Amino acid sequence: MEKGPDHGKHRYGMVIDLDKCTGCGTCAVACAAENNVSVRQDESDKERSISWMQIFKITNGKPYPDTEVSYFPRPCMHCEEDGHGHHTSPCVTVCVATATKLDPNSGIVSQIYTRCIGCRYCQAACPYKARYFNWWDAYFPKGKGLDRYLTPEVSPRMRGVVEKCTFCHHRLMRAKTRAYAEDRREIEEDEYITACTEACPAQAITFGDLNNPKHRVSRLAKSPNAFRLLERLNTKPKVYYLSTKDWVRKLADNYLPDEFKPLS
Amino acid sequence: MELNRRNFIKFLVGGVAGIHVTPLPWKLTDDSAIWTQNWPWVPVPPEGAFATESTVCTLCPGGCGIEVRKVDERTVKIEGRTDYPVNPGGPCPVGMGGLQLLCNEDIRFTRPMKRVGPRGSGDFKDITWDEAMEALRGRLAGLREQGRPEALVAIDGSPRGSTQALLLERLLMSMGSSNYTRIPSAEDTFWMAGILMQGNEGPMAFDLENADFILSFGSGLLEGWGAPGRVLNAWGMWRGEQKGKTRIVQVDSRASNTASKADRWVAVKPGTEAALALGLAHVLVTKNLYDRAFVRDHAFGFEPWESSDGKRRAGFKALLLEKYAPSKVSRMTGVPAAEIERLATDFARARAPLALCGKGKGDLNGSLYETMAVLALNALVGGINRRGGVLVHDKLPLDPFAAVEADAIASAGLRKGRLDGAGSATFPFAQSLVNRLPELVLKSRSTPVDTVLVLAANPLYTLPGSGAYRRMFEKVPFIVSFSPYRDETAMMADLILPDHVFLEKLQDVVWPSGLQYPLVGLSRPVIEPLYRTRHAGDVLIGLAKGLGEGVADNFPWENFEEALKERFKGIAEGAPGLTSFDGSTPPWETMASGGDIRADYESLDDLWEKMQSGGLWFRPAHAYGVRNGLFKTPTGRFEFFSTQIELALEEQSQHGGTDEVLARMGVSARGDEACMPHFEEASSGGDPAHYPLILVPYEMINLASGWIPSPPFLFKTIFDNQLLKQDSFVELNPETAAKLNLRQGQRVMVESPAGRIQARVSLFEGAAPGAAYLPLGLGHTAYDEFLKDKGANPNEIIEPARDPLSGLPAWWNTRVRLRRI
Amino acid sequence: MDSPTHSYGVKRCSPGVFFLWTLPWLGILAWGGLSAVLCLWKGLNQTNMSNVFAFALWIVFDLAVIALGAGAFFTGFLTYIVGKKELKDIINAAVIIGFICYSGAMAMLGIDIGQPLRGWFIFWHANVHSMLVEVSFCITCYLMVLTIEFIPIILENRTLQKVRELRLFGHNLHEIMAVFAATGTFLSFFHQGSLGGMFGVMYARPFAARGGFYIWPWTFFLFVLSAIAAGPLFTILCTKLTEFITRKKLVPDQAVQSLAKISAWLLSLYLVFKFIDTLGWANSLVPKAGLRFMDFYREGPYGFWMVVAELGICGILPAVILMIPKVRQQQGWLIFAGLLTCAGIVLNRFVFIIVTLAIPVMPFDRFWSYLPTWQEWGVGLAVVGYGFLLFSAAYRYLPVFPKEPELNPAAD
Ligand SMILES: Nc1nc2c(c(=O)[nH]1)N[C@H]1C(S)=C(S)[C@@H](COP(=O)(O)OP(=O)(O)OC[C@H]3O[C@@H](n4cnc5c(=O)[nH]c(N)nc54)[C@H](O)[C@@H]3O)O[C@H]1N2
Ligand SMILES: Nc1nc2c(c(=O)[nH]1)N[C@H]1C(S)=C(S)[C@@H](COP(=O)(O)OP(=O)(O)OC[C@H]3O[C@@H](n4cnc5c(=O)[nH]c(N)nc54)[C@H](O)[C@@H]3O)O[C@H]1N2
Ligand code: SF4
Ligand code: SF4
Ligand code: SF4
Ligand code: SF4
Ligand code: SF4
Repeated sequence: MEKGPDHGKHRYGMVIDLDKCTGCGTCAVACAAENNVSVRQDESDKERSISWMQIFKITNGKPYPDTEVSYFPRPCMHCEEDGHGHHTSPCVTVCVATATKLDPNSGIVSQIYTRCIGCRYCQAACPYKARYFNWWDAYFPKGKGLDRYLTPEVSPRMRGVVEKCTFCHHRLMRAKTRAYAEDRREIEEDEYITACTEACPAQAITFGDLNNPKHRVSRLAKSPNAFRLLERLNTKPKVYYLSTKDWVRKLADNYLPDEFKPLS
Repeated sequence: MELNRRNFIKFLVGGVAGIHVTPLPWKLTDDSAIWTQNWPWVPVPPEGAFATESTVCTLCPGGCGIEVRKVDERTVKIEGRTDYPVNPGGPCPVGMGGLQLLCNEDIRFTRPMKRVGPRGSGDFKDITWDEAMEALRGRLAGLREQGRPEALVAIDGSPRGSTQALLLERLLMSMGSSNYTRIPSAEDTFWMAGILMQGNEGPMAFDLENADFILSFGSGLLEGWGAPGRVLNAWGMWRGEQKGKTRIVQVDSRASNTASKADRWVAVKPGTEAALALGLAHVLVTKNLYDRAFVRDHAFGFEPWESSDGKRRAGFKALLLEKYAPSKVSRMTGVPAAEIERLATDFARARAPLALCGKGKGDLNGSLYETMAVLALNALVGGINRRGGVLVHDKLPLDPFAAVEADAIASAGLRKGRLDGAGSATFPFAQSLVNRLPELVLKSRSTPVDTVLVLAANPLYTLPGSGAYRRMFEKVPFIVSFSPYRDETAMMADLILPDHVFLEKLQDVVWPSGLQYPLVGLSRPVIEPLYRTRHAGDVLIGLAKGLGEGVADNFPWENFEEALKERFKGIAEGAPGLTSFDGSTPPWETMASGGDIRADYESLDDLWEKMQSGGLWFRPAHAYGVRNGLFKTPTGRFEFFSTQIELALEEQSQHGGTDEVLARMGVSARGDEACMPHFEEASSGGDPAHYPLILVPYEMINLASGWIPSPPFLFKTIFDNQLLKQDSFVELNPETAAKLNLRQGQRVMVESPAGRIQARVSLFEGAAPGAAYLPLGLGHTAYDEFLKDKGANPNEIIEPARDPLSGLPAWWNTRVRLRRI
Repeated sequence: MDSPTHSYGVKRCSPGVFFLWTLPWLGILAWGGLSAVLCLWKGLNQTNMSNVFAFALWIVFDLAVIALGAGAFFTGFLTYIVGKKELKDIINAAVIIGFICYSGAMAMLGIDIGQPLRGWFIFWHANVHSMLVEVSFCITCYLMVLTIEFIPIILENRTLQKVRELRLFGHNLHEIMAVFAATGTFLSFFHQGSLGGMFGVMYARPFAARGGFYIWPWTFFLFVLSAIAAGPLFTILCTKLTEFITRKKLVPDQAVQSLAKISAWLLSLYLVFKFIDTLGWANSLVPKAGLRFMDFYREGPYGFWMVVAELGICGILPAVILMIPKVRQQQGWLIFAGLLTCAGIVLNRFVFIIVTLAIPVMPFDRFWSYLPTWQEWGVGLAVVGYGFLLFSAAYRYLPVFPKEPELNPAAD
């Protein structure tokens, strides 16, 4: 990978506090609205519907009345190089047409719709199901007026390509553009946050630069309650979760019997 | 040329190279790929100048501050506002998806229409606004000419106290009809309980953020209770900066989101929350954990007393001691006695405990006695008008408009009283009982109702026992809908006068549900109306003017905006408050200042102008701790024993014994008990032998279950064990399912005496054994492909009984059975 | 019946009978054609593929067909490079079968990608780290090689032989065939391996992921080995089927036995490595991912029986049969063992594709099932129809089996 002057300078990441998360789904709706994600007539076909931010519901499996539910909101994890130089993000490594890339300056895993050939190898490689194929053309029936709310910041996708969460990359562009216009080189912590972060009514999501010790995310990611999904697979996700509940923490990864270390 | 190896290789290489140098194949390949990147049927959103405008969301009574991102004249994104005190941050998912309710011609009426096909066929013809206005004006004028203005009925779902609601009621009164009815909500039950126990008409205000122990009796804090934007934001705070400082206990029969995410879930049998509240009260009394000073100095009816007629009255304490010992309550509620004792102790020992009620989202009314029981519990810990408790407020000083001057026709009509009997001997505390309309219309051959105006409501879908409303609407001669949406009720209408939708419409948002301080939001239009719709307020004023003298005189305003502005006179003159919020200190922190607040406006015009930009007026000040002169009950105290109920019973007992009156009110308690909070076993349709399960309709934050449809985006957040293609799921405890021999995903008929709907089985350990849970918000038969025929609407099979005393529908206790299909 | 278009000294059925024989295959092709048109026109929503089953029936067909088509390069390698002269009697058949398999697979891939018109981006925007890029490059090149290997066979057609230029061209091609065989071997080694590598490199899919040598995960080598073990057997099965249908002996036993014996050794070698690989994987990668071997065999229909079927019934059993010369020499056992081996390889590819995707990785995710639509079957089976047609035509018009006249002397 080419090393620019800013190589490795920023690593944007996210921390989602599951104790705060109410499972309301505002983040998922905000994401779809922000990124012109098409809604299909039958969204219950979960295998083929598109939700860059997908909410997974989990339960502790205990019988009534000790049952508890919780939620994992799951954007793209913006996986990283493994640190041994062996491989980069699972999806980036495999993409045939370099249609998805790990930007070394922001850590964002991009997706270039107009280059994607739709082979779906990246989907097979991603263990988080964060990638979505456009099985149909975007659904904006003629004369219905639905296309009136589309934002020009993100181009709607054509069928036959894969899409996914981009950490609202256009918002980074927006912030950078403004900073440059004001003759600044760097952007402030709150200048670039993602649509889901901004939308969460419970403030369960924090976004920022994991490399910047002043940013809240870098502090939260070091919390003893912080963990990542499938961390053991060495995908180096930049999305962290917080939870004080052991049963929730345990569901984030696979553990051999007696391997899981409870917090309490 | 000899074709030897040498030539052969030349030929091969030359051929291959030759093909490569012709541009044609490359050009074609490249062009075809470019074509795939520019398919003409993939929309290309036009660029333009970006701008953001602030306003207030009116998709639910929560009234969140929102910011709308625009590109030229297009609205492209809704975001939360940090400069708005209700939800300093994100909105709820419905509000977030709101643009889909603006830009969708298939779910909106884009112009006035009149029915041409049979009722309910959805066959309409475009008409002009002049034609539409004249059609309705003519109808109303006709009723007045015939001397039966009372045959005009309104069903209104606009928020309580909103200007639009006032104008509609005013139109009816000026016409001569008292038959203005409202879609009941928790606000109505709160209002009644407030009147009965505190004597105040102000909204029930819960000082959530200042409480340190929140005991919620089935209130769906995370499902959309109160002002959802506010509660969700508070939740984040409770689990964030305030971690560990506020404990939340959820009383619920199901492991809902609130129950799961609370610090403790107390699982009760569905519908027995009141018993639990009283059981806790019992423990407070026996363990001497209640606020004796409050009870002694500011309450009435707790200790025994002797009434003016010399009779000894036992009082609330005796009732608690007699009937609500933990062992007894445990049998009623299924909560172990020890847990009741522990919970009561924890509640009482908290610094600022607060008990909440209002079932689910509170979109539907709750039980009046249950609300009173929870209010009594708050009172017992001294939590009335205390920081972190239930705050007592007077009504907002919003101008209610001058009293209606009724002309001769109108006076005659008004004298005929209300059809639904609200405020009558049988339903003395109800303001309106829309649930009684169907039986009144259906039982008589010639219906007493001629014309129904439906505003901001979709009774055919949202009201429990929706089938009855359908039958009623089939019979009513003329139905007018102001709905901007092609909802179920509008489909039955004869005339459609479509309103604007929220971002196109000027509206007042009066005191978001449950908020602890007075606030009025101003929802400004941020976009020119997309279609030929008209503000319902303007239509009402226009109609009144068209009806000529007598009616028109009561409507001196040119348009809605003028009327709306006039209402703020009271605030401009008599109520100091603020019109902007900088987000630095939350209002619930500054409230303790004690009522001393300097208005940041000088006149009505100044206030009005400031509200246009900030979008709100609020008063973050409260006289905490003041109780003297606070309660406007006949005794001037907080009444554990409601003297107003007693009075009403006495007044009526001349027309029969009190027992008979109580029976008519649907109250099964007798004597003094009926005047106090108590638990009444819900009695509703269905013999347990035939209908073994209790149906519990539940609400979800990510589905709109009121008259506003769900934005299609929401379906991305609905799991496929909640909705799968056309089926919604009925949640059962695996044990219950095993007894019924039902497996995950199986299709069943959910049958009640009122009807049946199809669903699939979802096994959920968090469902109470013996109960069947169905989500509200699915099962539309109207709208477009995103909403229509998706899932089932439990309202169709609910057979609402009457909630004792209030007369509102009791929709939480229908019995059902499941049949495999 | 002799015809100027047939080879010298062989008998072929009448055009009418031949036409009838092609009908069912044409039917399948038509079904496949319709399916393909629907998929290209309306998009891949015509299939039951999904975001869970991003790869499905077609990729199974592709990988299976490419593995079975390995007979071409491997027989070529044995014939031209190793110099096993007896295999000249079967090499034509092997090449044609290989051509069918690879061209079929390429066509299917063209339909399988969401943006077929951008297919060439693989070459233009190639990501050198992607195994699929390696596969695409090698398969494309190898298909060209196969075409070149096929051309001289076509040019040996009796009518075409009459054209001097074509005859000379064919002859020259034939002369340099060893070059192409070597190229083919090289290319095939890489793409067969990369196909395995495709799965082995998915390090976040513990069921498929493997460690390896340099950039190649072990699956790279396993796929090569399994393909060269099964490919020749598939060639044998195809010739046996042709012999059965035409009721003629077409290939000398010596050629068949020679191939079968090599397959037997390769299969055994493969199994040894496969067992080592499985054990190594189960004891290193799997526990590192927090899982146990048996955790993978809990979901839906994909139980431990798959391991037994793939490695026992379709692995050890045919290996044993083929290793014993006396048994191998009996036609019935040979065919039985060939069928088992080929089934085992198809099962292996199925497991790597479908089971990998079906087993959820996130602990809170659930198992999903997948059944192909008729369109998917149509496109998949079209390759079979196309194979029968092309092979029948080749048999009818080309000297596919050089020993045929010798083994079937004219009755008169
Ligand atoms: N989702 C999405 N994807 C897209 C597009 C889109 O619109 N949406 N657009 C596509 C288009 S048109 C393009 S051109 C590509 C752009 O794709 P990239 O080229 O990947 O884009 P950038 O992120 O703009 O910049 C590349 C990197 O160069 C670094 N850089 C800046 N200056 C220098 C320098 O002087 N030297 C070096 N070595 N590095 C430097 C930047 O910090 C950045 O990390 O993206 C494509 N991908
Ligand atoms: N701040 C900032 N500015 C940049 C860059 C950056 O990284 N940051 N990158 C620069 C680069 S490299 C480039 S290439 C330019 C790209 O600049 P633009 O070309 O402006 O890029 P986009 O925003 O990707 O797309 C433009 C518009 O094309 C629409 N569109 C999509 N499909 C079609 C179609 O089929 N037909 C038509 N007519 N319109 C379509 C999109 O919806 C969008 O509104 O931006 C440059 N400017
Ligand atoms: S918006 Fe926030 S609270 Fe709601 S689901 Fe997303 S992360 Fe959880
Ligand atoms: S989560 Fe999936 S899509 Fe996102 S970077 Fe990781 S592998 Fe790629
Ligand atoms: S589907 Fe698109 S992004 Fe994914 S691997 Fe293929 S070309 Fe790359
Ligand atoms: S970061 Fe942006 S693209 Fe990713 S899930 Fe959040 S809103 Fe969606
Ligand atoms: S809670 Fe109510 S007011 Fe707030 S955004 Fe949601 S729908 Fe709008």
